[in-house]
Amino acid sequence: MIKIKDVSFSYEGNPKNALTNVTLEAARGDFLGIIGQSGAGKSTLTRVINGLVPHYYDGVFSGDAAVGGRATLESSPEELARSVGSLFQDIEGQLFASVVDDEVLFGLENFGVPRDEIESRVEYALAAAGISDLRTRAISTLSGGQKQKVAIAAITALKPEIMVLDEPTGELDPQSSRRVFETLRELNEKHGVTIVVVEQKIMMLCEFVSRLAVMNGGRLILEGPVASVLKNAEKLEDAGVNIPRVTTLALRLREHGLYDGEPPANIPEAARMMRTAVHASL
Amino acid sequence: MLRFDGVSFGYMSGSAINDVSFYVAPGEFVALLGENGAGKSTLCRLCNGLLKPSSGRVKVGGQDTRQVKTSVLSRSVGFLFQNPDRQICRNTVSDEIMFGLENVVASPDERRRRRDEVLGLFALDGDIDPFGMSRGERQQVALASVLATKPKLLILDEPTTGLDYRECLSTMEIVSRLNADGTTVLMVSHDMEVTADFAKRAIVLSGGRLIGDGPVREIMKNRRLLDEASLLPAQIPALAMFLSELGELGKPDKIGELFSDAFTVDDMVELTERANRAPETRQ
Ligand SMILES: Nc1ncnc2c1ncn2[C@@H]1O[C@H](COP(=O)(O)OP(=O)(O)OP(=O)(O)O)[C@@H](O)[C@H]1O
Ligand SMILES: Nc1ncnc2c1ncn2[C@@H]1O[C@H](COP(=O)(O)OP(=O)(O)OP(=O)(O)O)[C@@H](O)[C@H]1O
Ligand SMILES: [Mg+2]
Ligand SMILES: [Mg+2]
Repeated sequence: MIKIKDVSFSYEGNPKNALTNVTLEAARGDFLGIIGQSGAGKSTLTRVINGLVPHYYDGVFSGDAAVGGRATLESSPEELARSVGSLFQDIEGQLFASVVDDEVLFGLENFGVPRDEIESRVEYALAAAGISDLRTRAISTLSGGQKQKVAIAAITALKPEIMVLDEPTGELDPQSSRRVFETLRELNEKHGVTIVVVEQKIMMLCEFVSRLAVMNGGRLILEGPVASVLKNAEKLEDAGVNIPRVTTLALRLREHGLYDGEPPANIPEAARMMRTAVHASL
Repeated sequence: MLRFDGVSFGYMSGSAINDVSFYVAPGEFVALLGENGAGKSTLCRLCNGLLKPSSGRVKVGGQDTRQVKTSVLSRSVGFLFQNPDRQICRNTVSDEIMFGLENVVASPDERRRRRDEVLGLFALDGDIDPFGMSRGERQQVALASVLATKPKLLILDEPTTGLDYRECLSTMEIVSRLNADGTTVLMVSHDMEVTADFAKRAIVLSGGRLIGDGPVREIMKNRRLLDEASLLPAQIPALAMFLSELGELGKPDKIGELFSDAFTVDDMVELTERANRAPETRQ
C-alpha cells in the first residue's frame, strides 16, 4: 500500500538532509507507529507519503515513493488525498472553517461522499472524537485539545484508505488520547484502513500499533514488530526515545539479577513481571 | 502567593470556571490537571489578569487582579501560553527575549545580561529566526523569554507539548531548579509522567469545578477522581494500583500489599530487593 524506496530529501535553504536513504513498506491494513526525537525526520516522512514532499515543500528529492499504487512524484497531492487522509502536526494551520460542523462537512463534500451518507458520517466522527456537543461552536472559541479533536474528526469522517497522522494526541488529555487510538484501531480492524501515526506517547502507541519504525537523524534505524523493536533499549535511548517506565523497570530488575524475561508491553504484563520477581520469596 | 476565592468565570459559550477556591504558598510546585475543556487555560489566564473573575476574587502576592494593571502583574507573573506561536512575535530569538524584558527591567545592561544568561541556559542561538525552528524549539524560545524576567510566580500552560523526551527533561530540570530557588510554579500538563516526576501537589479541574486538591502521590492513586477528570495515572502508580487491586486469584494479596505505596522505578526495585532478602533474614 505504501512503498518508500531509498528516499532522501533536503529542504530548500537547509543543507542538512531531513531524510537519508529511507526504505519503508506498509501493506494494506498495517498499523505502523513512527517514533524518534525532535528533528529526526518523522514529519518529513509523513509528507513523503501524502506527497507534500516534494510537491509543496521545495528541496532535493531522490528515490521512489508509491502510495496506493501511485507514484507520488507523478501524482498531485490532491489526487493522492483521495486515498490518503492527513492530520498535520500544526493543527491551527489545518483548520479553516469557522464552525466545527463545516470543518467536517467540507471534507466529506469534497471527497464526493453521497449526500445521504454525509450526516451519519459527521455524527460518527464527532461522537468518536467526543465532541458531539461542540458541533455548532465557533472553532476560534475552543480549547487547545478541543481544536485537535475537530481536526481528528474531520479526517476520520472521510474513512480514507490510508491515514497519516502526525502527533494526533499532542494536546489531548490521557483518556481522550486513548479514545483516539481506539477509533484508529476500529478503522484499522473493521474497515482495513492502513494507518501510519507519529506519536511521542510511546507506551500507548505500543499497545495499539502492530509495527514500529524508529527515526534518528533522518535515517530509519529500526523497524519491525513492536516487541522486537522494544528489545533494543540502548539504540532507542540513543535515538532520544522515551522508553516506557515499565521497560526501564524491567532493565533495572535485570541489572539487579531479579528478572530475566522480556520487557513487559503493558501494565498487566508488568504486574506478571513483578510477581515473577518476588515470587520465590513469598 | 496565589489565592482563588470562590472564583467563577464564563465566556459567551457558557460557564468555564465555577466557584473555585485554593491557595498556593510561595515556593510550591503545583500541577493543574483535567480533561480537555476543563478550564485549565482559563484558570491560568485568571492568574495573570488577562481575564478577570465575574465573581469571587483572585489575589497574586496579596494583590487583587481586578485592582492592578495587567502590565504591573506581569512583572511578577511569568506566563507561558499553550501554543508558543501565540507568544513569539520578533524575528530573532535575541529580540524576542529582549522584548519580554522591556516592561520588566529598566536597565538596558541588565536586560542584556539576563538575555545572555537564558540563551546559555537553553543553549539557544540568539541570531536565529524563531519561525524557521521546529515546534519544540519554538516552545523553548518562548519559555526562555518568560524565565528571563525572573518571575515570582510562573504559570506554564502545557510547557512540554511538542518537545521530545530529552527536551522535555532538560526543560523540566530548568523549571525545577528555579522552583528550588523559590519560584512558585503552577503547571498545566497532560503528561502524567512529568507530573509525577516534578510536581508535588495537584489541583484537578473537571467541567470548571475543582474536584481534587492534594499531594500528587495521593491523586495518582485515586482511581475515582482520575476517572472523573478523564486522567490516567503514571505507569508506576498504575502498576502499583493494578497489583493491589487484583491479586493472582482476582482478590488482593501479599504482593499487592508489598507494592501498594510504590511511586517510582526506584521504589519498585528496592521493594523487590527487600522482599527477596526477607526470607534469609528470617532464618
Ligand atoms: N519547512 C522546513 N524548512 C526547512 N527545514 C525543515 C523544514 N521542516 C523541517 N525541516 C528540517 O528537517 C529536519 C527534519 O524535520 P521534521 O520536521 O521532519 O522532524 P520531526 O521528527 O517531525 O521533528 P518534531 O518531533 O520536532 O516534529 C529538521 O532538521 C528540520 O529542521
Ligand atoms: N475564547 C473563548 N470563548 C468561548 N469559550 C471559550 C473560549 N476559550 C475557551 N472556551 C471554553 O471554555 C472551556 C474551558 O476552556 P479552556 O481553554 O480553559 O480548557 P482547558 O482545560 O485548557 O482545555 P485543553 O486541555 O483542551 O487545553 C471550554 O469548554 C472552551 O470551549
Ligand atoms: Mg514533526
Ligand atoms: Mg488549555
